[in-house]
Order: sequence, then C-alpha cells, then structure tokens
Amino acid sequence: MAFEPVREMKKLNYEELRIYSDAELKNYTEEELKSFKCKYEIPKLDELEKGPWPSFVSDAKQEALRRRKLSDDQILTHRDAVEDLLGQLELSFDEGETHWKHGGIVGVFGYGGGVIGRYSDLAEKYPSIAMFHTIRVNQPASKFYSTDFLKTICDMWEYRGSGLMNLHGSTGDLVLLGTTTEQLEPIFYELGHVLDTDIGGSGSNLRTPACCIGKARCEYACYDTQALCYELTNYYQDELHRPAFPYKFKFKFDGCPNGCVASIARSDMSFIGTWRDDIRIDQDAVKAYIAGDIVPNAGAHKGRDWGKFDIQKEVIDLCPSKCMSLEGDQLVIDNSECVRCMHCINTMPKALKPGVDTGISILLGAKAPILDGAQMATLMIPFMKAEAPYDNIKEFVEKVWEFWMEEGKNRERLGELMQRVTLPKFIETIGLPPAPQMVKAPRSNPYIFWKEEDVKGGWNRDINDYRSRHKR
Amino acid sequence: MIEEIKKAIVDFAEGSKKTKFYFKDMESAVQKVVPGAKMRDVKKAATALVNEEVLIYFSTGSSTMYGLKGRGMTEDPTEGTD
Ligand code: HEM
Ligand code: HEM
Ligand code: SF4
Ligand code: SF4
Repeated sequence: MAFEPVREMKKLNYEELRIYSDAELKNYTEEELKSFKCKYEIPKLDELEKGPWPSFVSDAKQEALRRRKLSDDQILTHRDAVEDLLGQLELSFDEGETHWKHGGIVGVFGYGGGVIGRYSDLAEKYPSIAMFHTIRVNQPASKFYSTDFLKTICDMWEYRGSGLMNLHGSTGDLVLLGTTTEQLEPIFYELGHVLDTDIGGSGSNLRTPACCIGKARCEYACYDTQALCYELTNYYQDELHRPAFPYKFKFKFDGCPNGCVASIARSDMSFIGTWRDDIRIDQDAVKAYIAGDIVPNAGAHKGRDWGKFDIQKEVIDLCPSKCMSLEGDQLVIDNSECVRCMHCINTMPKALKPGVDTGISILLGAKAPILDGAQMATLMIPFMKAEAPYDNIKEFVEKVWEFWMEEGKNRERLGELMQRVTLPKFIETIGLPPAPQMVKAPRSNPYIFWKEEDVKGGWNRDINDYRSRHKR
Repeated sequence: MIEEIKKAIVDFAEGSKKTKFYFKDMESAVQKVVPGAKMRDVKKAATALVNEEVLIYFSTGSSTMYGLKGRGMTEDPTEGTD
C-alpha cells in the first residue's frame, strides 16, 4: 500500500505570513556585531567562541543585538532575554551550579505535555528570564521542512519568544527556548492553526517519535521509516498529549541496522529495518571493487590514500560472524550466519544490498542512566513485516503498554521494569516465544528456563527412586 | 460509568493529603470505588475533567501528575529532569 497522508499539509506562504521585513531581520552591520558588548561581563562565554567550531554564544550575541534594535511593538516578550540568559550562564560557569528551576503547571489547555515550565531562581537579577519556558514542536518525519515553514516559525518566535531555538533537541523535536506563561496559548494557536503542526511530547507521555531519512533518500531502508513514524504519531495522538503512562516512552525508527537515529540506545521501543532472505550480490560489481574500479565505502574515506582495496582484509576478515569467503572470484555469504551488521554492504554498496524480504526487528528497553546505568535495548522480535496499516505492530505496541501500565511503578521506564520482572517473565506476559536472538551474552542477560509443560513428558520423577541411586 | 469515575477521581483528589498525584495512584483509587473501571476509562474521565477545568496537569518535564485546580497547585516548579 502506498503512503497516504491523513490529509494534505497546508501550503504556507511566508510572504503572506511574515512579521519582519528583510531589513528588520538584518538590522545590524558586521561592524556593530564585532563591537557588540553584552550588558554583563561574560569572559568565559567569550572564550567559547574561540575554538574551531561555530559557537552558540556567537548565535546568541547576534540575536541579542537584533533584539536591541527591534522596536517595542516588534517583540511581545522581553527584549533582554538573550542577554540575561548569557549573564546567568556565565554565573553558572563561575559557580558550577545551575540557576534554572523547571516543571510546574504551565502548559497549553487540554495537553499534558509539550511545554516545560522553566524559571530562573535569580529572577531579580535577571528579570527577563524569570520565566523562560520551553516548547517542543513535533518535527516532521526525517525533519523535512519547507523554507516557508522555517521562516514563519522563526518570525513567530522572534515576536512571541526569545528568538532562541534548538534544531533539534536530543528528543528530536524542534525546540523553542524561552517564553512567558501568557504567550503559551497564542503560540499554541499559531503552531496549530497557522503553521499546521503540533507540539511534541514531554512528561509521562509518548514522546515525539523520530525516524531516519529512510526511503526518502537512502537505498538501505528496509521499510518506509517516515510512513511508520507518521502513522504511529497520528494513531497515538492521545498517548502523545494525555499522560497516563508511568513515565516517558519513546519510539524511534531506523531503516536499517546502520541505525542513523540510534534507536537501539535512545528509545524504549526501537524499530530497526532488516531482511530475512539473502544479501543480494552483484558479482560483477564485486570484481570491480577488487580491481579498484569502484571506490569502496562510496568514497566516504577517500580524503586519504589507504592503498589498494583489499577485500579479504577490509571486508571478509572483518565480518563479525566470519560468514563470508571468496571462492575463486565469487563472493560467497553463508546468510544463515549473517548478523546483519551492515559492514560488507557499507563497504561495497554497489555490489551488496540488503535482501528483498524486508521488515523490522523490534527492541525494547533502552534508557539513559538516571537510575542504574544507561541501557541498550534488548531484541524482542527478530523479524516482523512492516506494511501499512501496520496492525501487527500496533498490536504489539499495545500489549507492551498494557503490561507496563499495569505493572510499572511510578517513574519506572520499560527497561527497568523488564529487568525487575526478568526477561523470561516479561516475554511470557507479552506472549512472545523465547528465541536465541534475545540472548546477547549468556552471562549478561538472562537464560530462558524451560517450564515443565514446555517439555515433552514433563519431568516428573520419583525422588525416592532417584535417591536410591544418588546419595545426598 | 464515566460520571461515576469522574466523581471517584474528584473524591480521591479532594480527600487526598497530597495536592498532586500520579495517574496510577488515581487509577487504583478509582478502581476501589468503581471495580469495573478500566485504565482507558479512567484516562477518558481524567481527560474530561481536564477539559472541564476541574483537574490540571502538573509536569516536571520528565513525568506528569494530576491535581485539582486551585487546590494548593501553583506555578511552582520542582526538581527533575526533562
Ligand atoms: C576521547 C574523548 C571523547 C570521545 C571518544 C567522545 C565520544 C562521543 C560520542 C561517541 C558521542 C556520541 C555522538 C553521537 O551521538 O553521534 C559523543 C557526544 C558528545 N560528546 Fe563526546 N567524546 C569525547 C570527548 C568529549 C569532550 C571532551 C566533550 C566536552 C568537552 C564531549 C562532549 C560531548 C557532547 C556534548 C556530546 C553530545 C552531542 C550531542 O548530543 O549532539 N565529548 N561523544
Ligand atoms: C578445566 C575444567 C573447567 C573449566 C576450565 C571450567 C570453566 C568454567 C567457566 C569459564 C565457567 C563460566 C563462569 C562464568 O561465566 O561465570 C564455568 C561455569 C560453570 N562450571 Fe566449569 N569449568 C571446568 C570444570 C567444571 C566441572 C568439572 C564442573 C562440574 C562438576 C563445572 C561446573 C560448572 C558450573 C555448574 C558452572 C556454572 C556456574 C554458574 O551457574 O554460575 N565446571 N566453568
Ligand atoms: S538507518 Fe539505514 S536506512 Fe536509515 S538513513 Fe541510516 S543507513 Fe539509511
Ligand atoms: S552484514 Fe555483517 S555479518 Fe552479514 S555478511 Fe556482511 S559483514 Fe558479515
């Protein structure tokens, strides 16, 4: 089934929606910028501008300067917000302590997430950032924006917020940094009714799902990551906005095991594209790589001379399951041993491709180290098809949620719950048969134990009979 | 049933010493009074109460709680992580 949007997105026209003229957006000269002095002394922050990389301090200074020069009717919140932010940050660097408080009842009506209240605990010293709330904006799948959208949201945020934003936060969202409580509803209106988008997740909600670029640009994609991300975002709107989970829950979608959104480490439920048939081999292209006619790694490392490509050393010997060999000039892969690491495919993309019977693996339970250590996800479903309308996937999602919502303690992540109840109990409850792929290393994640009813004939034995042959 | 659950939520919220509580605690309190109430029903009722401006959300950024509007809940932020 081809991808179908729930409805077409509104076409935005920046020229109609813009708040500022070009001259107002570039209302200072390079000279003025060079001689710009923040109203606080910020030597430590100035230092950050000196390295080889662009610094957020330089960006913030440009924004501070622009805000100094905009007229009063061109900004609805505090003109000095950026300068106060820099001042407070410098102080935090001096003291090694944060001055931000966060949380509270701020939010937009009817939504339990997406807005994170943020306050300075030095409101008297830095009044312009006394309130500096964060808004998470649900980014489009793979972050494809139109310039009309980006320019419009920038103008809106200059007008109603601090002008500072983060593209993108670690959550995946486009993050608007710093506004006051009274601006929240107007901003929500602009986002929903003008920009035709939605705010993202925070709190005990489904968080904004995120996917790799997938089939839009990448020939490795084993399923349409954008379509699945879009579908689940829309289908689970209620979970995104109305908190009833024990804690946060994240979906992330990688099109193949290269894992460009690192779903295996960053999401409670990680979807990774895979295939269950054989890697496709073009033997002529293999020969061309060996002969040096095609640059390996699609030219990714060609900035330096690595010598002649050596298929034995660079591909076959590096295969983690040692399942490749050259027979004559034919490359042979024992696909039953392949662990889909992608190394050979990445090295010789013209010669090797993922199979054609593609789908997803689902992994559960990754999390950051707030409790215990950081944890990678555990493989739960080695293979499942991923085709619209994705009923099989939704069914699985809901089974997992049901168990977590029933058994999870307040503020317990799925990964912690899985550890607490143990893997055997967990898979039994959600109805998955144990599979060898679930066991990463026998000593570091649990064995599967057989139960009597799983074993033909059971294991009833006569203990007295046994003792007659084996002394205590 | 939804009205019954709504009442149970408000009774729990009014009777609780705490001004804010987790969904799970609200859910178990409701289920003591309305044994047939499923999680989904409690969520629907809570959403309705939010829309009626009886309940409000309280969020630390990382987790979310519920509270009665106007009862000890201020814009006060707390510690926590996003
Ligand atoms: C040998 C030293 C280091 C290694 C091997 C290392 C490695 C890494 C890796 C693998 C990541 C993840 C990148 C990704 O998400 O794709 C990362 C992220 C990061 N590292 Fe390092 N790092 C080193 C030193 C440092 C130092 C000295 C700093 C700070 C002064 C730093 C700051 C960060 C930050 C802020 C991120 C997160 C960036 C983001 O979320 O976009 N790292 N580092
Ligand atoms: C030269 C002889 C042996 C060597 C090198 C050896 C080595 C090992 C090693 C490396 C482990 C894994 C330890 C771990 O990962 O925690 C192990 C576990 C074990 N070995 Fe041996 N072993 C030997 C003889 C034996 C014998 C003769 C027995 C029984 C009579 C035995 C019973 C066990 C048991 C029951 C375990 C599992 C312990 C557990 O569940 O934690 N081993 N052995
Ligand atoms: S995860 Fe795989 S499919 Fe997605 S962009 Fe990266 S390489 Fe391509
Ligand atoms: S994908 Fe990885 S495991 Fe599979 S054959 Fe290639 S190198 Fe070996």
